[in-house]
Amino acid sequence: MASEVVMPRLGWTMETGRVVEWLKADGDEVEAGDLIFSVETDKAVTEVESLDSGVLRIPPDAPEVGSEVVVGAMLAYILTPGESLPSPANHGAGSSAHESGGREHAAAVAAASRGDTFGDNGSGRNRMPRISPRARRAAKSLGIDWTTLIGSGSSGRIREQDVLGASSTREALPTEPFTPRASPGVRRLAQERGISLGDVPANGPGGRVTRADIRAIQAPPETVPGQGVALSPTRRITAQRMAESARAAAPVTLTTEADATDLIAIRARLKAELVSIPAEPGPLPSVTDLLVKLTGQALTRHPDLNASFAEDRIVRHPVVHIGIAVDSERGLLAPVIRNAARKSLHAIAEESAALIAGARAGTTALDDLRGGTFTISNLGMFEIDAFTPIINLPECAVLGVGRVVSRPVVRDEQTEEIAVRKMMALSLTFDHRVVDGAPAARFLQTLKGMIEQPYAWLMR
Amino acid sequence: MRELTFTTAAREGLDEEMARDPSIFVVGEGIGERGGNFNTTLGLYEKYGPERLRDTPIVERGFVGMCTGAAMTGTRPVVDFMFFDFILDAFGEMVNQTAKIQYMSSGRLKMPIVLRGCIGIGGSSATHHSGNYYPIFAHLPGWRVVLPTTPRDAKGLLKSAIRSDDPVLFLEHKLLLNAKGDVPDVDTDELIPFGKAVVRREGTDVTVVGFSLMVNRALEAAKTLEAEGISVEVIDPRTVAPLDIDTILTSVHKTGRLLVVDEDFAPAGMASEISALVTEQAFDDLDAPIRRLTGVQTPVPYSPSLESALVPNAAKIAQAIRNLIAE
Amino acid sequence: MLDTKVGTESADNGVDAGLDQAVILNLYREMVNIRRTEEQLARSYQGGHIPGACHTYVGQEAVAVGVCAHLRSDDVVFSTHRGHGHALAKGVPPRDVMAELFGKATGCSRGRGGSMHLFAPEVGLMGTTGIVGPNILQATGAGYSFKLLKSDRVSVAFFGDGAVNNGAFHEGVNMAAIWDLPVLFVCENNQYATEVPFNYATRNTEVAERARSYGIPGIAVDGNDVLAVFEAAAAAVARARTGQGPTLIECRTYRTRPHAEGMRDGGYRSIDEIASWKSRDPITALRDGAIARGIASAANFDAIDAEITAIVADALTFAMESPFPEPETATLHIYSTAE
Repeated sequence: MASEVVMPRLGWTMETGRVVEWLKADGDEVEAGDLIFSVETDKAVTEVESLDSGVLRIPPDAPEVGSEVVVGAMLAYILTPGESLPSPANHGAGSSAHESGGREHAAAVAAASRGDTFGDNGSGRNRMPRISPRARRAAKSLGIDWTTLIGSGSSGRIREQDVLGASSTREALPTEPFTPRASPGVRRLAQERGISLGDVPANGPGGRVTRADIRAIQAPPETVPGQGVALSPTRRITAQRMAESARAAAPVTLTTEADATDLIAIRARLKAELVSIPAEPGPLPSVTDLLVKLTGQALTRHPDLNASFAEDRIVRHPVVHIGIAVDSERGLLAPVIRNAARKSLHAIAEESAALIAGARAGTTALDDLRGGTFTISNLGMFEIDAFTPIINLPECAVLGVGRVVSRPVVRDEQTEEIAVRKMMALSLTFDHRVVDGAPAARFLQTLKGMIEQPYAWLMR
Repeated sequence: MRELTFTTAAREGLDEEMARDPSIFVVGEGIGERGGNFNTTLGLYEKYGPERLRDTPIVERGFVGMCTGAAMTGTRPVVDFMFFDFILDAFGEMVNQTAKIQYMSSGRLKMPIVLRGCIGIGGSSATHHSGNYYPIFAHLPGWRVVLPTTPRDAKGLLKSAIRSDDPVLFLEHKLLLNAKGDVPDVDTDELIPFGKAVVRREGTDVTVVGFSLMVNRALEAAKTLEAEGISVEVIDPRTVAPLDIDTILTSVHKTGRLLVVDEDFAPAGMASEISALVTEQAFDDLDAPIRRLTGVQTPVPYSPSLESALVPNAAKIAQAIRNLIAE
Repeated sequence: MLDTKVGTESADNGVDAGLDQAVILNLYREMVNIRRTEEQLARSYQGGHIPGACHTYVGQEAVAVGVCAHLRSDDVVFSTHRGHGHALAKGVPPRDVMAELFGKATGCSRGRGGSMHLFAPEVGLMGTTGIVGPNILQATGAGYSFKLLKSDRVSVAFFGDGAVNNGAFHEGVNMAAIWDLPVLFVCENNQYATEVPFNYATRNTEVAERARSYGIPGIAVDGNDVLAVFEAAAAAVARARTGQGPTLIECRTYRTRPHAEGMRDGGYRSIDEIASWKSRDPITALRDGAIARGIASAANFDAIDAEITAIVADALTFAMESPFPEPETATLHIYSTAE
């Protein structure tokens, strides 16, 4: 029976090798133990001995000398006298099938054993008012807003007893579910506004909830001189972060104008097309979406601006994650679009629509607020031109986008030809601790260029 | 019930098992005629003879490896190693052989071997006679690790250890050896199962889990704090591999606060493991972070003033509890 | 080629004409079984079918076979990282060994062990091992069990020249000596521990002489002469079974393939040295010697060759076609009770 001569595994990690030289020729008689060919791996050249005796037959379709060959691949046969070469269809079929089976299996095992090693624990420490999980659970079940409590724990933490103490000074809430009394009109009003009647303090006759009660819930709390409004958690965090940024960073703002005529034209064109597509056209990209797309690519080309300052070193982030500032009832949030440089415009538009809706509804997940490497704040809808946005630490820069205004501009210095173009104000605040003026300016210039000739960049 | 010392109770358990099963034999230094450095085998040589109470040369690696082979071939060895520090010469055998034979043989070979001896700091025994080290073995697959704290448990757990087909580390704190306690009458044949903790003292304000001697010290602290109006629940796991985490979780659900007290060092220790398990499974029950009070991570010094500085005593435990209550 | 034996005990020179044909043919069969299986494993390793290590026993067959010929199924053997020969000689079928090296669920260790953790306690194979030394201690322990249980079973530790300077050798042999345990300590001195020459690792290269330090008999034999090994082992096993204690047997032999498949063979030893030992092949020596003395014919031996070739081919098919173990079984058997 013909025995196969295959590319041997000469080391535990070897996957391919090269036949350097046949030491016996096709047709030679060989004995078990004779050296028949030499193999080159990345380590060295080794001579390989035959395990069988017979006639060495190197088939015409055997791998060429010097070519890279996978371990286990058939190189030749050792035939007993009178035998002929197996047909080409049989070459290496058996061994390589098993080989790949083994390899796949090994890969599957390796994948399983690698496990989940990636864990982004988030950069910021929790600066919310401290409350123990047990107390939080108690507060939830008792319907108490613990953010107004003072913790009696030695570290300032709110403990279970603080929550229990707070609840015992109020009326005990009824334990069975009750239906709030309200007229149908009031019920409808509450439903329209997304308010749960059970949450509304009722001042009407017989404990009814009135329209005035609903309006009072939604009105801003009155401020009486001397009294304050308790900080909501969002307000508290915003205050802390803004102050931190102003204090720690060295902010410098650069402004410029970009000719956004083509950009706006693209958007108009997209709008027209999307209307005409019957099913699932997807959201129309906003100007901010377009800018996210372009900024992502500008940052890829200017990695200095996609970095953070960390006490004694500058950390460059390999991936671009862009936060978009969203104004909501709770305050200012900046949910993050991940990997913005590699996402299609369509994907960015879908994601930003979802994030903005979430922010406005108050359902943004904490993870969506973390991990950004750059932020864009668009105040153009409020007719703002340039402004000095505050850096969202630990990022090192933030782009403020102003309004798009049609103005006459000189298109050609030579001919002094004037045309009406749509100009967009751009303000870039950067942290001078991390980045100098020139690189920041170059980034802004690149971005301006992309805005002015956006087609190719938006296609990627 | 009779009042026996820890050592006497354990020896009684060993005697009962050796009478029951002639394949059980003991090896160690001085455990034959001499009856053991800690009297662990006093009187057994006369009963069972030199083949079953086998004095060895000073060859810890040798006799652990030898007993591993014996356990594979039909006998049930008990290695009496005296001080845990000594047995570390056999670390390779314990990790690579004893712990793995059942697995490598796909269960066709069992490993009914017990390694028993002293752990713990005390008596100025200094750094070659004061080791704890047991978390290392709780960390590995294959070992059972047993830390009895009372005479009754010493007897019942040693009997279970000898009857177990798994390799068991049976670790007796040297300062517990003369502790007295109630033990059921002879012929009760009480076997205490592994993986079953016991609530030594009930309480409502804080859960304290201790190991070995630390259980007793925690109980002392609890007594002191009772007068201050703090109600302490003390749990004795008895075995750390397998560990009865459910009893601890039930307690934390009640009290909301957990202190783990371990004479051994903090890094990568049993207190860390329990902290992680409770955080994972009872996060919302916690009213304060889990605290660990452990021995200071240093080789054990000789002078009494240094030695006592390293170890949690009742006063330190009480203060740690007070701090935890205040958090 | 049947060399004279060297040792502290007197022995016959040359082949013992009293050995009958059946014994000779059985010794031959067992050696060829090992040789063919190992060659196939080498081939399979090169073909990428063996995911882990493979330390072949080619050239040393006479030692495993000469010793195991005297062992019953209930005697026990504690082997080394180069243990396929011991496993096969003790009675583990080639298909069980091959499937195990292929990592299949049908292997003797159910895929958990591979080459260096072969277990078949049913036939007294108490493990090959990846660590040098512990098996000597465990063999002593088995001797202790057999003595305590008052059986006449025997325990054998196989180890190489690389083990004799390890503390486990010293402690294990000493304990067996002071307690008169029924143990054979068989040193396969193939002159290299991986690539470290034995005469570098010790000033006293006479392993058999070390027995004197422990007060037990020691004998050195030509490890490529299966009849010499057979005879020395016979005496040692008889001593052990009759309560006379342990023996140290040094078998001088050589492995003609690299330390492990896939490792280099050059650098630390010369091609001439390998060639000179290949010319002392224990299998051809037995065959040629027996034919020359008219104890058996070429046809007898050829028939055995054919038989073994078929068995090994069947083992290969079995190994190739067997399934891999299910991942869910990975945590079974850590403890004696299901967790």
